[in-house]
Amino acid sequence: MRVEYINPFVESAFNVLKEVLQGEVKRGELYLKSTSIPVMGVAAIVGLAGDVEGRVLFDMDKPTALKVASVMNGEELKVMDELVKATITELANMITAQAVTKLHELGFKFDLTPPAIFTGENMEVSDQDVEALIVPMETAQGKLEINVAIRERG
Amino acid sequence: MKTKEDFPEINARRPDGLKPEGTPYRVLIVDDSMFVAKQLNQILTSEGYQVVATAGDGLEGYEKYKELYPNLDVVTMDITMPKMDGLSALQKIMEFDKNAKVIMISALGKQDLVKQALVAGAKNYIVKPLDRKKVLERFLSVVGK
Repeated sequence: MRVEYINPFVESAFNVLKEVLQGEVKRGELYLKSTSIPVMGVAAIVGLAGDVEGRVLFDMDKPTALKVASVMNGEELKVMDELVKATITELANMITAQAVTKLHELGFKFDLTPPAIFTGENMEVSDQDVEALIVPMETAQGKLEINVAIRERG
Repeated sequence: MKTKEDFPEINARRPDGLKPEGTPYRVLIVDDSMFVAKQLNQILTSEGYQVVATAGDGLEGYEKYKELYPNLDVVTMDITMPKMDGLSALQKIMEFDKNAKVIMISALGKQDLVKQALVAGAKNYIVKPLDRKKVLERFLSVVGK
């Protein structure tokens, strides 16, 4: 996977998280995975289609999702309800869209699909023929992983 | 004893959400995200605007516009939505009412997309994440005070 695709995601995740959570965000070391990867419990996914294709998965555990959604809504949310899911989905949407906007400016043309969210225990994700790059982000609310799998259309 | 009338209200400011005659501007929110709709609702209501309806996709937004017309002042329009996207809904609304005031709200800030929306008749374009100041400033410029 070309590094040009990744930097905009790292940058926009950092910027958006900092803005919506109003706090410090630390970026962890990036790593590549080509086999199945466990998913922490709450995963929002946004698809990419155009010159390149793939998907971006935002993964975090349930307590982190609740804390992040609470900050974004300005109220304490204790259960994984529709509002929490909509909030995390929107977070994924904002980060992906900002990255897509940057990539667009660099000349890569593609669009994103409306996001979807999965919640559950013991989930894992596999991408055949596509390497996934993981960008870990540490926030005061907990750890989030941004898992990007993109390939050029051939 | 001094009563309220003894103090001129030098700091009183009319909320931006009110028309000169004192009634609120009526807003239709078109967004498929419950979170964004709630956030917009909170920001707008806090400044006196009245959110009269919310639609979850472009088609529903267009239909609600026709239903509410002419008792509607501003529409906020998301772009990436199921059934009918925001740009198509914007075009439909503009065909129906060339004076419609539609503000696009999207996480996508791609220049050609913004241009396309403005050419199609959108009055403004807000790139998410949303904050109170940004939303109210753009609304104010659209309702024209």
